Amino acid sequence: MLEFQDLSFRYPDTDWPLTFSGNVAPGQCLAVTGPSGCGKSTLLNLIAGFLSAESGSLRWQAQDIQSLPPWDRPVTSVFQEDNLFDHLSVHDNLGLGIHPGLKLSREDKAAIDAMLDKVGLDGLARRVPTELSGGQRQRVAVARALLRRTPLLLLDEPFTGLDPDTRQTLRQLIRDQRDQGTAIVLVSHDESDVESLADRHLRLTA
Amino acid sequence: MTPPFSHPRWRAWPGRAVTLLLVGIVAAGFSGLLAEWQWQAVSDLWQSAYLRQVIWFSVYQATLSTGLSLLLAIPVARALHRHPRFAGRALLLRLTELSLVLPTIVAAFALVAVYGRSGWLNTALGWLGLPFRWNLYGLQGILLAHVFFNAPLAARILLQGLERIPANQWRMAAQLGLTSGPLWRNLEWPALRRVLPGLAVFIFILCFTSFAIVMTLGGGPRATTIEVAIYQSLRYEFDFGRAALLAMVQLLICGALWLVASRQGSTRSLVPGSHEQSGTRRRDARPRDRLLLQLFLAFLALPLLAVVVRGLPGLLGEAGQGQLWWSLARSLSVATIAAFLSCTCGLAILAASQSARQGGRRLMARLLESSGHLTLLVPALVLGTGLFILLRPQLGQTHQGLALVAMINALMALPFVLQVLRGPFATLPPNSLRVADQLNLRGSYRLRFLLLPLLRRPLLLAAAYAAGLSLGDFSVIALFGSPSAPTLPLLLFQQLSAYRIEAASGTAFVMLILLFVVFYILNHWGDRRRHLRAPNRLTTGARVHA
Repeated sequence: MLEFQDLSFRYPDTDWPLTFSGNVAPGQCLAVTGPSGCGKSTLLNLIAGFLSAESGSLRWQAQDIQSLPPWDRPVTSVFQEDNLFDHLSVHDNLGLGIHPGLKLSREDKAAIDAMLDKVGLDGLARRVPTELSGGQRQRVAVARALLRRTPLLLLDEPFTGLDPDTRQTLRQLIRDQRDQGTAIVLVSHDESDVESLADRHLRLTA
Repeated sequence: MTPPFSHPRWRAWPGRAVTLLLVGIVAAGFSGLLAEWQWQAVSDLWQSAYLRQVIWFSVYQATLSTGLSLLLAIPVARALHRHPRFAGRALLLRLTELSLVLPTIVAAFALVAVYGRSGWLNTALGWLGLPFRWNLYGLQGILLAHVFFNAPLAARILLQGLERIPANQWRMAAQLGLTSGPLWRNLEWPALRRVLPGLAVFIFILCFTSFAIVMTLGGGPRATTIEVAIYQSLRYEFDFGRAALLAMVQLLICGALWLVASRQGSTRSLVPGSHEQSGTRRRDARPRDRLLLQLFLAFLALPLLAVVVRGLPGLLGEAGQGQLWWSLARSLSVATIAAFLSCTCGLAILAASQSARQGGRRLMARLLESSGHLTLLVPALVLGTGLFILLRPQLGQTHQGLALVAMINALMALPFVLQVLRGPFATLPPNSLRVADQLNLRGSYRLRFLLLPLLRRPLLLAAAYAAGLSLGDFSVIALFGSPSAPTLPLLLFQQLSAYRIEAASGTAFVMLILLFVVFYILNHWGDRRRHLRAPNRLTTGARVHA
């Protein structure tokens, strides 16, 4: 279970801190909604450790994770864009999700190939992201997130602007992941995304 | 699992060490100057007729050179802008870039080959049966060389100023049918006015500290600059006190000018880079613009052509002699070491300053980066003078001198290296950096998979410039080099001052070829960089051809 209680963060030059409380259990998807500027992405960045909270608690399986750096948290983020490194091939982008030094075993490579198949990108392993469409790039990003097998997935507008086919495929993959016990936090403007994935809602106000 | 070298100290300490080293070197240079400092000698500045003459001449020639360069550059830039489809435009732009990296000593030779006593100009005058002969040596030669060097640079930067005017303003102007005068008053002058003061200061300092050109084309005490006087005090008169005094005067004048220029914030725009053409036809485009451009093209290309035409036979004559090849080997090793040192130091400084900035220590970050720019403030010859005074007893052996040259060359190239590398270092989108952190892509893994692939091309560009700068360096090698074991520029100078024009042309030709190789690599990779996301920031170090 991920729990955050009175987790607050203040941007420089603002008077009021943003404060968040809520929780999400394994196998659940929590949709965070609210007007723009209410701090949806801020919450995800706090959970991932890209930002540090001013006060409040952040716990995973009853352990405080606030002192952990991003690389030690049990978390994978998928952003709307810039998830991939443009100078590395699709294969290497995925491989980095398994080992940061690209030291991959035979099983790892097989897992990458299987995942490429699963997201419908077989045969594109040698391409670099700039040669792919936006939809294909996001398929790679989600594929890497799944390969990492972290128990917590943070999705920040992951399907915004994608073609219907990609949307359908990726949603199904995320649903499967949730049903296998991954906890998911989803930020999306798109009502159909929220509807098809979310079990619970956290509404933020500006 | 922890990636190798991922402890924060690996990012912070190499750069801090480099900064300490740089500050140490500059401090050592200053202590050398101060060691020979005599307050009594200060009165020489106004009592000695020689010193008065030297300082006066330095200022005088630099002012004239700056004025003439800008007077030529403004119409050339306007003509280039009026004629975007001028046939020789691409070549002309290439040549303006070339003058950034062309060694001054090669340019000096090239001008001798065209305008010298037995050069093409005088031969042509002879054919025409005119009694008049042009004499290159003295003030006119220095001015010619400085204009040859700086007018193209100025034209390039002014052209960029014009190209920064929004395309819609040009379209409006075309619709309104504005002619030359109103265009100048309403569009061109306001755009150029912002660039001109910084540009003028920049050119003034380049001319003021000009060394190779004054050494080869100047003559006698009537045409000697501070920079040359320092050299003579050190190497011939062994008057270290006077050298220290002159170095301080030079430092004060240059420092004050830089301060004025940077206060106005106009030094930033002195970086040639990519540009855009509005493509709008200009009503004031006239045939005589083309004539001007053709003449300017000839002015730039003829001397280079002379190096090639006279150089080939010269090279064949020289090829059998070992001295040329030994000099080449020395030059190459010094340049390689300088390029490597410069790039390594640049990377270390940027890594440390980035790490400091992320940790919220802005002052530290700025301190680290400014240490790399120290040589902009302290001219190489001033630094060299101090180190020379300090180290002279130990300078028995050639390779020690060369090592010192490589080091100072690396320092001179560092501001440029930092400029080139800083962009790509900072262009990764914030989300990509977050992803990298989350994937534990740190330490040597980050270097290998993230930074080096992104920096490979800028690194090559930086290395090429540093190597080019070092290959062409004459001022530092003149101080520390030994005449019996010269590098290429020193050899060329020896040949020029012995009037061995044949041999000199061979040496100049070799240098030009070397430079073209370096320049080709640079342009080749520079172009390929456009495929990457990182913006193409082709920038120049401030004193690339100092």
